[in-house]
Amino acid sequence: MKSLIRAEGVHKRYGAVDVLKGIDLEVAEGEVLAVIGPSGSGKSTFLRCINHLERIDAGRLYFRDRLIGYEEREGKVYELPDKAIAAQRVDIGMVFQRFNLFPHMTALENIMTAPIMVKKEPKAEVRERAYALLTRVGLADKANSRPDQLSGGQQQRVAIARALAMRPGLMLFDEPTSALDPELVGEVLDVMRDLVKEDGMTMIIVTHEMGFAREVCDTIVFMDDGVVVESGPPGAVLGEPRHERTRAFLSKVL
Amino acid sequence: MTTTRQTAGPDSQVRIQAVPLRHPGRWVGAGVLGFLAIFLLQGWVANPRMEWKVVGEYLFSPAVLTGLGTTLLLTVLAMVVGVAGGIVLAVLRMSPNPLLSALSGFYIWVFRGVPLLVQLLFWYFLSAVVPTIGFGVPWGPTFVEFDTNMIITQLTAAVLGLGLHEAAYMGEIVRAGITSVDPGQTEAAHALGLTRFQTLRKIILPQAMRVIIPPTGNQVVSMLKTTSLVFAIAVPELLTSIQGIYSRNFQQVALLTVACFWYLVATTVLNAGQHYIERKFSR
Ligand SMILES: Nc1ncnc2c1ncn2[C@@H]1O[C@H](COP(=O)(O)OP(=O)(O)OP(=O)(O)O)[C@@H](O)[C@H]1O
Ligand SMILES: [Mg+2]
Repeated sequence: MKSLIRAEGVHKRYGAVDVLKGIDLEVAEGEVLAVIGPSGSGKSTFLRCINHLERIDAGRLYFRDRLIGYEEREGKVYELPDKAIAAQRVDIGMVFQRFNLFPHMTALENIMTAPIMVKKEPKAEVRERAYALLTRVGLADKANSRPDQLSGGQQQRVAIARALAMRPGLMLFDEPTSALDPELVGEVLDVMRDLVKEDGMTMIIVTHEMGFAREVCDTIVFMDDGVVVESGPPGAVLGEPRHERTRAFLSKVL
Repeated sequence: MTTTRQTAGPDSQVRIQAVPLRHPGRWVGAGVLGFLAIFLLQGWVANPRMEWKVVGEYLFSPAVLTGLGTTLLLTVLAMVVGVAGGIVLAVLRMSPNPLLSALSGFYIWVFRGVPLLVQLLFWYFLSAVVPTIGFGVPWGPTFVEFDTNMIITQLTAAVLGLGLHEAAYMGEIVRAGITSVDPGQTEAAHALGLTRFQTLRKIILPQAMRVIIPPTGNQVVSMLKTTSLVFAIAVPELLTSIQGIYSRNFQQVALLTVACFWYLVATTVLNAGQHYIERKFSR
């Protein structure tokens, strides 16, 4: 299968702190990957590197065989201009732990803004698609609600619809249910499950929902202290972990 | 203070009928101050040399009303320059480029550090030092050239002086507004593929407005009063017109009363407007 994301020795540091210490990873088209690991292990940082919200310090990170945020010509790496980076991000959707909906816009406007501003698509067409997406995440009646009138679960579903409106080839989820009350977690996981089943969407999900990861994901990656400790099918990583660190982590969360 | 409070006891429905505590000291103080105020006011209002007839005569005179119009126009133009400049300064200040950021900091340092009156005189007399302004290649050929006296009229000197000074303050206000917006908003916008400029315009500034608008209202009120400084460069605004009249008829106090009246009317209207806007934005 064709790989959508390829990470080779990705390093990231903040000041004197090495947060990512050489990540090697491949995500195939249509693959669903869960990233698990203790707090501070660099999961969010890695996800943010994938759409260049953070720039990497060493290694290579490819999306569809093109460097992310950079361009390589004659053995030299050049930084891409703002516009080119923005264009790369169009194909990568991201969903945040704290939703980050735009509070001054309605749910519908949240979804419509990027396709209109970035892709310059006709407004009528985008509106139609936005309604379809809202219906899909079960919020057709909330089109004109503002984020502060929605529950956390509803906000997160709008956030997913907003990312989908750009028709991305890859979706990144950074602990999409961690900020939710327990009874609201299910409705968001249902939407994500549907994305896998119906669309065969390629997804990278940072999560603590082990049950969901086991059920939905093709691969589980366990990260600790800036490195990938082990990865493999859910049954292997969760069922019979090979590394002591993985076992120690799983004994705490399972 | 006495308060009525509902307790859980059987008498909780009975209001306490307490005798209010007396504050004789406050009443004596208020009486003394009230007396002083009336005394001073009387010395002004009922003073035989205070020509109320003159006040009435000039209150709505064309010269005064034109001056008032110029004052309002100056306020608007200077604020437009100030707000636009402030946004640019704030964006530069927060730029990742250290040179741009330092330049903006330098601007704010200079324009807040030099007294406004000095700045106004500076812009006004600039034409004496720089007689022409041209556009072309630096140290190379010039394509167009203007006589400075033509571009920097008194009004433009006033608008420039007030506006550029205001921009330094607005820069800080806008910056406070931008930093008040959750960084997650920028990330979400970037993740959707919006460019930095689109993010600023569509996502950040609209949210920053809540923080920017209330102090900007203050700045407008303050600007209205500050425009009186431009009488130093003889721009025919309200105070200059008033001064022109009393230099002929020597009714200084009467005419300054006219000026006070109009400034108070204008600031009262603006304050009411600001109050309304503040309520609307504080949701
Ligand atoms: N902007 C930053 N500046 C400095 N240090 C940072 C920054 N962002 C993250 N870090 C540090 O990098 C390390 C990894 O952070 P990261 O958010 O990637 O962890 P995580 O695995 O997502 O943890 P969590 O499960 O708590 O979300 C942490 O030690 C964190 O303190
Ligand atoms: Mg995280």
